[in-house]
Amino acid sequence: MNVKTLVNELQNFYFLSFHGLLGLLRRPFYLRDTIEQMDYAGAGSFFIIILVSLFVGMALSLQLSAELSVLGLKMYTGKVVGISIIREIGPVTAALVFTGRVGSGMASELGSMVLGHQVDTLRVFGVDPVKKLVTPRILSALVMLPALTLIGNAASLLGGYYISVFVSNQSGNVYWSSIRDVLNFENVFSGSVKPFIFGYLIACISCYMGLSAKGGAIGLRRATTRAVVLSIIMIIVADFILTRILLYALGFSV
Amino acid sequence: MITFDGVSFLYGSREILKDLHFSIRADERVAVLGGSGEGKTTILKLIMGLIRPDSGKIFIEGEDITEKTEEALRDVRMKFSIVFQEGALFDSLNIKENVAFCLREYTGMSEEELDVKVRAILRRVGVEQALEFMPEELSGGMHRRVAIARSLAAFEPKMFLYDEPTSGLDPVNADNICRLILDLSQNGKGFIIVTHKVFDALKVANRFLFLQDGKMLFDGDREQLLHSPIPDIQIFISELQYKEEGKNV
Repeated sequence: MNVKTLVNELQNFYFLSFHGLLGLLRRPFYLRDTIEQMDYAGAGSFFIIILVSLFVGMALSLQLSAELSVLGLKMYTGKVVGISIIREIGPVTAALVFTGRVGSGMASELGSMVLGHQVDTLRVFGVDPVKKLVTPRILSALVMLPALTLIGNAASLLGGYYISVFVSNQSGNVYWSSIRDVLNFENVFSGSVKPFIFGYLIACISCYMGLSAKGGAIGLRRATTRAVVLSIIMIIVADFILTRILLYALGFSV
Repeated sequence: MITFDGVSFLYGSREILKDLHFSIRADERVAVLGGSGEGKTTILKLIMGLIRPDSGKIFIEGEDITEKTEEALRDVRMKFSIVFQEGALFDSLNIKENVAFCLREYTGMSEEELDVKVRAILRRVGVEQALEFMPEELSGGMHRRVAIARSLAAFEPKMFLYDEPTSGLDPVNADNICRLILDLSQNGKGFIIVTHKVFDALKVANRFLFLQDGKMLFDGDREQLLHSPIPDIQIFISELQYKEEGKNV
């Protein structure tokens, strides 16, 4: 890819991301499409998020219990699990699962619409494809990923509780009281901002890749793969940048 | 109605269309013939302003559309009714919702009015029974008919554009689609049909353009086409001879 193509692609991506978001404020509002997308992204991902988060919480608790018991600090398992899940692992896990399930779906659906001339048909009918297709997907990601992260965090903490109490033989009361301690503004705010940014990134990248698909079945495969890979990379990079900013903004010393 | 003035179009580094010059009146019945990948569909997309030429100008009713914005192109697109290859029906909507798409978008019709209108349009193209079906439940022929119905519901077009409307269909369904195309053009509305099936083109069109290597190799009527000395056109015409021989057998 030469520099000119890269600049052109970036320009198109920013245009789509900006106009997709701006569509939230401009008529017409495609309520039905938005509800459909929310159902697909939210309700459809519910059980997967719970399952994945539960096992992540269990594995984390297991690792920490093993390590902290050596140091005689087993009673801190709840606290470390809580902070890790709420501030870092919960949002990232939910975003990665969301990318795999929803982002890939967005890219392949839009790609298939492009290749099947359905997007051209929308333009022929005078309907703005960004407003009709991208805005509802951005909105659904902005609403559903934070909600799923919250649910996933709860499942992870529950998984951590199970391991701490029933495997590591710790007190349940101590575990939950540690979790209550870490549910302060700084931690909750830090973990709540990320899903909005991740959701926006996933929706924009997936929609862009889908809408720029070309070249039949192979083009569709390429667009979907690029959407997932780029989303994952961007989530990890954005997570690092956000963590740095939030730690600074919330007054944590590193 | 449509004028191409020195239009060229590149796909990547490959020149699909090279310096095309032609004009088409609104009441003409034109078939654009040519092999796969010769740029036939590109011509329809250029007319609709879905893509822009790399050089040259396209005039619709005397108006240059090559520099128009997406917003301004809406008025141009309303003059045409296009049916894409394979129909391009919206997968997530049933047939009724597909046909009602533009009516919902642009009119304040009640559910009852919509139902009556959609049924009438589907009846006109002969697929009223498919009202509640999903696109994947339709046969190829029904797919094209519904696509034509949807394009009829959209606006009051001055001209129809068909992209390979009979490709992949059996002879009976292809013949039905050709009849429907002729039926819709009876009130003086012309059309451009893009196809590689010369047999179907001869059934419906009275002017023929032949594209090869991005150039307009031929522009003439039925007789001129049938007696053209151009070797590649003769290969296309040979399809007819096979059919005629088949009939005689």
